[in-house]
Amino acid sequence: MTTHTAKRVNSPFVATRNACKLCTPLGACLAFAGVAGARTILHGSQGCATYIRRYMISHFKEPVDIASSNFSESATIFGGRENLRAGLANVTRQYQPEVIGVATTCLAETIGEDVGMYLHEIRSQSSADDPALPPVVHVGTPSYCGTHAEGYLATVHALVSQLAEDGSSGEHVNVFPNMFSPADLRYLKEICHDFGLPVTLLPDYSDTLDGPTWDDYQLIPEGGTPLAAVRRTGQARASIEFTCVHGEKASAGRWLEDHFHVPNHRLPMPIGIRASDALFDALGSICGGETPARHAAERGRLIDSLVDGHKYLFERRAVVFGEEDLVAGIAGLLGELGVHPVLCASGGDSGRLRSAIAGLVPDQAEQIQVRQATDYADLEELAGDLKPDLLIGNSKGYWLARRLNVPLVRIGFPIHDRVGGARLLHVGYRGAQQLVDRTINTLLESIQEQSDEGYSYL
Amino acid sequence: MRKVAIYGKGGIGKSTTTQNTVAALAEMGKKVMVVGCDPKADSTRLLLNGLAQKTVLDTLREEGEDVELEDIRMEGFGNCLCTESGGPEPGVGCAGRGIITSINLLEQLGAYHEDEQLDYVFYDVLGDVVCGGFAMPIREGKAQEIYIVCSGEMMAMYAANNICKGIRKFAEAGGVRLGGLICNSRKVDNESEMIEEFARRLGSQMVHFVPRDNDVQRAEIRKMTVIDWNPGCSQADEYRMLARSIDENDLFIIPDPLSIDELESLLLEFGVLEAAAA
Repeated sequence: MTTHTAKRVNSPFVATRNACKLCTPLGACLAFAGVAGARTILHGSQGCATYIRRYMISHFKEPVDIASSNFSESATIFGGRENLRAGLANVTRQYQPEVIGVATTCLAETIGEDVGMYLHEIRSQSSADDPALPPVVHVGTPSYCGTHAEGYLATVHALVSQLAEDGSSGEHVNVFPNMFSPADLRYLKEICHDFGLPVTLLPDYSDTLDGPTWDDYQLIPEGGTPLAAVRRTGQARASIEFTCVHGEKASAGRWLEDHFHVPNHRLPMPIGIRASDALFDALGSICGGETPARHAAERGRLIDSLVDGHKYLFERRAVVFGEEDLVAGIAGLLGELGVHPVLCASGGDSGRLRSAIAGLVPDQAEQIQVRQATDYADLEELAGDLKPDLLIGNSKGYWLARRLNVPLVRIGFPIHDRVGGARLLHVGYRGAQQLVDRTINTLLESIQEQSDEGYSYL
Repeated sequence: MRKVAIYGKGGIGKSTTTQNTVAALAEMGKKVMVVGCDPKADSTRLLLNGLAQKTVLDTLREEGEDVELEDIRMEGFGNCLCTESGGPEPGVGCAGRGIITSINLLEQLGAYHEDEQLDYVFYDVLGDVVCGGFAMPIREGKAQEIYIVCSGEMMAMYAANNICKGIRKFAEAGGVRLGGLICNSRKVDNESEMIEEFARRLGSQMVHFVPRDNDVQRAEIRKMTVIDWNPGCSQADEYRMLARSIDENDLFIIPDPLSIDELESLLLEFGVLEAAAA
């Protein structure tokens, strides 16, 4: 297996052209959206909030409000404490949130804003006219040293480390998802429920970012992990988290293990059969039960469909791109299908993508090209040479698919050119089933489209 | 109009040297403006006899965009004009961005306009060039000549050499040149010879050796430059000589910074070995 973490050797290009990652605070906004009654303030430039809102609204097709502390030139020079104070007061007055999340933009990070210190000062110096602030959770999210996935995990870590409380042990299990869809989150809760396990899913934006229509506009959509449940993560019987590339510094599960002795289960994203088995095994071991019959049945149907679909998938070549954990998970699934993930690429630069893929697809590890810190221009150059049969990734890869004339299976975030991004399943047996069916059907459609004969029987 | 930037290690006496030199130039009949580029805003205290000055950035923050040149510029000794950029309190915000904003604003307000009939603008910049903002005074179209205040102490020379590396980069892109070193004596052995040699190896010159004299402190405690406090004293003449050297200077070069080994051997040769031999 070959790995590149920089641009191709001898390439005259040193600039990033259309990075294969999104802004770090975007991940923070997504994670904060999964806390009940939460509102997010981005501390820094206003445009960051606008961009992230646009990206989230077009994917989820739901209203997304993100406040900004809106730095002016003088805030940049003198520091943004006053802006933050005014922002917290305004958001508290207008939304009456139960929690406020503060994530930083690049500008605030570059001038060294100490948000923790500001929050301490703002609380201790508040006057009688100021509204009483709810709990405020802050997270540093400079985009130049991270990705949206890292912003997401850092925010979950911040929520837990700033809110969790010790106490008598509960029966519940903490599940800390990665960048999953609302459908994935609903399904994870369903699985835990079927095991008979009370679960605290953090974050849980399955309702807030995929809700019904309203008669009256809701300033903060219903749903999300209640603040009390976030506090009780310190009292859980176990935690499960899904990453095999991000370090322990960003691990909420590890933090709870270190501080409150909550045993942590660190799993890869449960994409594909083996990775899903690992999740079901972990849940089984936590509650001392077997995989519930309906899920075992789903697993059985999934395996049957692999047998049926093998003739379409065997020896096909796929290029996978997106977040590192997602890419590793999809590579694992493809390995199980007999598809070669010839190129696995991410804008993330954890340095662990190669070992993650090697762990999930051991028999193909030597043949897979792994690319970190990549951009779409780079991806096009590499993918073209590899003659793939399909691309798997988010909709930012559409023009790549168009230029290479290769079909794209849309997964993950963002999906800006199709509806239903919020309802795509990726995880568990059911998610694998959807991915398998969609992958086969995408290939079949491509065969039909490119055939002169127009076969209707494949 | 000549635009001059003064750099050097923190605490070396940049502000003191700048203001005393400006006083001497003003005495010569030159029209000088001093732009303090230190967030502490203490670059013009001696010229203004301690008058607290409203900084450019404070004014901008309080008045918004409706700033007038008169709001941020005060007349000091010998009709020199004094402005202070100012900046955030220590530990917050971005002082570097403050300098950029402040210098841009001064330009917008016409502080450097021909009508002002300035002979000199002096930028007095905080210690090290720690980020892009502190290099603002030497970017293209700003200061064309730089003087580095140093002494024979190792760290001061080390800082001066580092500043030369910065100058080199900006000199190649823009037009800024090194005008020379000003030795603000700390009574180090062989100090004058060593700085002369250091300057020569950089491809430059020592424009003046300012001896250590407590009259500088005596004047400073009275919030005055030496020339203002006691025009007849010998230290006043030293600053007059320094001012004349700058006024008559015609050696402007792109410095060739020394390697650390070269710098250390210079120190050994002049500082330690010769002193030991004597």
